[in-house]
Amino acid sequence: MNCLDFRRRITAEPRSRDADLLAHRDSCKEGCAPFWQRAQRFEDDVESALAGIPVPDGLADRILLAHATDERRGQVRRRRSWMAMAASVLIAFGGVGLVWRHMDGTSLPALAVAHMPWEMDSLNMTRPMTDAQVEAGFVGRSAHLKGPAPAGVTYVHDCTVGPYPAVHLVTRMNDEPVVALYMPGKMSDADSDFHRDGWDGRQIALSGGTLVVMAQGASRNTMDAVARGWREAIEGPVAPSVGQI
Amino acid sequence: MPPVHKDVNPKQRQYEAMVRALSADLYRFAFWLSRSETVAQDLVQETFLRAWKNLDALRDAESAKPWLITILRREHARLYERKRFDTVELDDSVPEDAAFASPERSGDAAQVRDAMLKLPEKYREPLAMQVLGGMSCDEIAEATQQQPGAVMTQLFRARQRLKAMLGGRAAAEGGRT
Repeated sequence: MNCLDFRRRITAEPRSRDADLLAHRDSCKEGCAPFWQRAQRFEDDVESALAGIPVPDGLADRILLAHATDERRGQVRRRRSWMAMAASVLIAFGGVGLVWRHMDGTSLPALAVAHMPWEMDSLNMTRPMTDAQVEAGFVGRSAHLKGPAPAGVTYVHDCTVGPYPAVHLVTRMNDEPVVALYMPGKMSDADSDFHRDGWDGRQIALSGGTLVVMAQGASRNTMDAVARGWREAIEGPVAPSVGQI
Repeated sequence: MPPVHKDVNPKQRQYEAMVRALSADLYRFAFWLSRSETVAQDLVQETFLRAWKNLDALRDAESAKPWLITILRREHARLYERKRFDTVELDDSVPEDAAFASPERSGDAAQVRDAMLKLPEKYREPLAMQVLGGMSCDEIAEATQQQPGAVMTQLFRARQRLKAMLGGRAAAEGGRT
């Protein structure tokens, strides 16, 4: 390293502890050591001048306050957006609930059960109706039986279930009254069982309408027998299929 | 200064410690960069707000100051993108015979500061990064995306300018060599 290089490097990096620089400083006879000393003193002055700029009082605290305020504002913003999201979810659930309640309230099982409080006396009747009386009940609703009515029909009446015209029947089997509501023209897609307000029932899709069979505390066998009996009476006896003989 | 509260989370503790330890140095650097106390305060505040958002990028305590200086420089550049100030550029060329003219003492701190304020930004900035930020030529080169040799030249010329300004005044005042 020559003196020019040394002085250039020391001027650019006075505090450098590079071994080559220090070796040149210690060995040079051309005045590089005094140059190095002057450079150090000059750097002392520069450092103290640059670092001597007074810092405003409370600068750190003001920065922390600004940060805390910014964070808190962010928290409030995040909390508000969470609350808005939660409210949206609640509203959505509420809406779904209302729709479900409306749909459930207008279902055939709901309408059938709601019809019963005015017809409870019909469950206590025990005198069998004649086939002609039963047939007359269906004629009143523009419907005809295609097969024999089940035995033990104790009540027949043309009623309205919700908005649907219906034939209201009570069949007493094994001393258990079973209600059958046939709504001609009211089509449904599939059969389904229900349990509602103390009533066990079944909604049965027929070719010309819908049959709802229900009872309070009747055995499953009785329900099945009554449902089968009314299905065959309304749609006609089921033709035996191959393998069913 | 009251101690940092213990039930604050580690990130918050690190941030508070960093603000308390480095805000003064950062302010001084910002002042020399912008030559304005008001702008310097705004720059420091904005720098720390940005630092908080990226605090996970800081790996060790030693690199905190260069990291903050890099953020501050970026903020300063953004500030100037929004609002351009008139700057007075001084002549870059340094007479060769004055290259090593070093005054024995460079006068009082006020004179050095005056001279520093007159330095063009391209010299003032690397000098402040080196003197206040404790950054080496290589670190400055990396932060400013320049070659180390170019930074070395800027630092050399920055000091030569200072010496020339201070030496000239000293000579006019009766010579202090």
